[in-house]
Amino acid sequence: MSQSPGTNSEDGSKTTENESVAVDSVIDFKGKHFGLETTSEDSDDHLVSGSEGTMIDVERFCHADYRIEQYAHSVLDFSSQYGINLSISYTAPNITGRPSKYPEYGDFPQTFAMRTYGDWWDRAPSRIKEMQPQNVAEIPAEDFIDKEFYTKPLHNLSRARRFTPPLKRIQLPTKTIRLEFNHQRLHYYTEIDAVLLSGKKFNTRNMQHLLDYYERQRKGPILCKLQNMKFRPICRDNYQNRLQHFLMHDLGKFISVLSDVQVQTIQQHQQQQQSLSTDEIKTSEIGLKDMPFEIMLKIFSYLDLKSLFRVGAVSRFLYDVSTHPLLYSELNLKPYWHLVSTELLSTLAKRATILKKLDMSWCGCTVQTISPTEFKKFIQQRGDSLTHLRLNSAKFLNASCIDTLGIVCDNLKELSLRNCSPSPPLLNFSCLANLKNLERLDLFQTVIESDLLLTMLENNPKLKHLNLAFCNVAVNMDDVAQQISKYNKQLISLDMWKAHFLSAQGLLILSNCRNLEEIDFGWCLREASLGDSLKEFLTQCTKLKKLFLAAVRGLTDRDLEFIANLCPNLEQLDLMGVLGLSKERYIDILQKCTKLQLLDLCFCDNIMDYDVALWSRTFKVDIKSCQVPNDFR
Amino acid sequence: MHSLGWSSKLISRALRSGFSALLETATNVTSNSGGSKSRPHFISVVCGFPKDFLTSKYKPGKYGEDSWFKTSTSNADVLGVADGVGGWRSYGIDPGEFSSFLMKTCERLVHCVNFNPQRPVNLLAYSYCELLEQKKPILGSSTACVLVLNRENSTVYTANIGDSGFMVVRRGEIVHKSEEQQHYFNTPFQLSLPPPGHDHNVLSDSPDSADTLSFPVKDGDVILVATDGVFDNVPEKLLLDMLKEVEGVTDPVKLQMTANSLALMARSLSFDSEFMSPFAINARRNNINATGGKPDDITVVLATVAI
Repeated sequence: MSQSPGTNSEDGSKTTENESVAVDSVIDFKGKHFGLETTSEDSDDHLVSGSEGTMIDVERFCHADYRIEQYAHSVLDFSSQYGINLSISYTAPNITGRPSKYPEYGDFPQTFAMRTYGDWWDRAPSRIKEMQPQNVAEIPAEDFIDKEFYTKPLHNLSRARRFTPPLKRIQLPTKTIRLEFNHQRLHYYTEIDAVLLSGKKFNTRNMQHLLDYYERQRKGPILCKLQNMKFRPICRDNYQNRLQHFLMHDLGKFISVLSDVQVQTIQQHQQQQQSLSTDEIKTSEIGLKDMPFEIMLKIFSYLDLKSLFRVGAVSRFLYDVSTHPLLYSELNLKPYWHLVSTELLSTLAKRATILKKLDMSWCGCTVQTISPTEFKKFIQQRGDSLTHLRLNSAKFLNASCIDTLGIVCDNLKELSLRNCSPSPPLLNFSCLANLKNLERLDLFQTVIESDLLLTMLENNPKLKHLNLAFCNVAVNMDDVAQQISKYNKQLISLDMWKAHFLSAQGLLILSNCRNLEEIDFGWCLREASLGDSLKEFLTQCTKLKKLFLAAVRGLTDRDLEFIANLCPNLEQLDLMGVLGLSKERYIDILQKCTKLQLLDLCFCDNIMDYDVALWSRTFKVDIKSCQVPNDFR
Repeated sequence: MHSLGWSSKLISRALRSGFSALLETATNVTSNSGGSKSRPHFISVVCGFPKDFLTSKYKPGKYGEDSWFKTSTSNADVLGVADGVGGWRSYGIDPGEFSSFLMKTCERLVHCVNFNPQRPVNLLAYSYCELLEQKKPILGSSTACVLVLNRENSTVYTANIGDSGFMVVRRGEIVHKSEEQQHYFNTPFQLSLPPPGHDHNVLSDSPDSADTLSFPVKDGDVILVATDGVFDNVPEKLLLDMLKEVEGVTDPVKLQMTANSLALMARSLSFDSEFMSPFAINARRNNINATGGKPDDITVVLATVAI
């Protein structure tokens, strides 16, 4: 770091090749201000600092660079985890501190596991389509595959690993790191034990440069450009008069200097052109600017947002094309979560006059804040034609934002408010009861009041997809089941993962929803015995493709028999953690459910590894089975 | 099913009080090195024998079906023992799993940000709730005894369910002792998680029924936390005599020697078929003709308080 960081012309938000496709979970880390502890040399330090810029206590520092390593201190946010918030098993806080289980390999509760793995959720009936798919990093940068975390072929995955994702460089001192994960290649739930950050300490001189640069960054774009051009006006005492003087007298000179430079390059270009033949000159005169407007629109519709903004800076014509509202009917700002700011929002508000779909998930975190008022204005201006809105893990939302949503966006068909539990907690999103056209409602890991939920269910008879995973204790799933069976008979997918407790009675009531294709009762059906309720349910819901019964400990062989006989269309079945089921039943299911693709038998008994391998080969089903070694540690 | 009832009540209570389980990074400092303020701390040692000592393999943290843990944070020292109920073996369930899990989870919970040193009952309760969140179904039941030294006010807080317990000796006298909780003879109070379908014929006590006690401690106090393998086989007087010896002792080696002899004594007495152990006396009181000791797993956690 001997050169001054000021010579870097672009800021840290450079190429897309450093970004991995962020499909799901994200964790934020927050570190204590390091350098105040005495043991900063050992790896016993548990603090995290940012990538290049490190916040150090400058006085403490004395020598030149040497390596230090730190573990994460605390988790600021995450988009999904396997366990419930209060638990210390399979949840996000387990990633802090030193590894507890590594290098042992296995399924341990002392680690952090995310909610999904592989592409099974994309194959389920409840899959969602990305808006503006060209914005997702997959398409422009071909090398994202190498940077992705899980690139090793399957045979490498069954042991504990350390791996290093690339860190995106930014120029600000920071204490927080966000890790993005893509699960597409994962074989099963992958659990992370700890995150270790290692790097070098700066020395004081560089620190000063860095702080200077940071100061300079906070100046406006014009000053920055001037600095880059090495044009420094000589400012003495009464600089205001100086500026006026400059504008009146020297501005002309300044512009002519610039245009001289331009003229020179044009002359060079013309000389080059004259050496071409006349035919070539003719063809080189017809270009993009001669295309009809509609063709240009069509071409630009393939561009991602960044390129769209860049191309608009080229010429008046291209600016007019690139700001046409038709290009902004769908907006996906999730891949740009680190760039979305209030200013961007107001710029987009001017262009997106016929906005139909908006995805602002993950925006508004510590790097760039978005003011809730601006967002409210945005919604008030553009929200009435919105049909799809995703605000997963959007930290800038407050009560009045949600209220505005409820009031303005009454054409909403899809509303996704995953992980939307800001502090202070918003328990009451009452205006959401106004929405009457919802077809998809996603409240994964969001705290919502029971009454409001029941009202919303009543008001939205067209509801097709409902996700209530990690719903808080206050919401009784039996009541929800009652409501759904009365008002939401068109329901296709229902997710109740780790919600608070559906009883056998509730299960029975749900059999009224004959259109159900996907249902997730994981950790939710805690009753000791299901009686005939599962049989009734399966008899009525014949279209079932995905049935997740993880940790439904009351399942018996009889229930498995029903599953085998009554679910001909079953594609995904999860029976994790259910003891006391016999091998014959598994084979029965494998034989009768011919469309089965996934069968999760982890932590079930009466199975041997060779059985699993044999069944997997014979029936062409992906069977998961893993156990924790018997001496529980 | 009652376990479900109060566990969800517990969770909602915690939610309302703004509970959020963030794990602090583990700082396993066993003794207070920088002692500039007079903060009390434990010097603790452990010893024990599983019932099948001669044939079993040693596993850390367990003695047969018994389990223990001891840990410290910056503001508390915590000791705990748990005794798995052996009757589960006939259902094909390993009784040691439950107690082991309970103790290990208590230890992890101590290092959570929201650990309250004045309510060890919470440790037991949340540990129990964690059981329900395990992928691998853990079944069985166990007694438990957890003891926390709060450094702020030099007070010990305890929570005890069942027939494990603790004893505090000061100046040659027993100043505090836990009470055995039993439903009937040889059936102590126990936290349990039965296999589905057996809920109604299995005793399951909630952590709320734990006996809680709190008392101040002084420099030199001796604290013994042990499972019923010790209390059922070694008469109180004998225990007192041994614990008197180590009052005020801060040398861990000497403490370890005492713990070892305590455990050994309990073991030899348990296999003595003629000795009138406390167990035999109690049995006779319940009209059961028994003599001799009670062979059982023995766990001894011995600590002295230093200020």
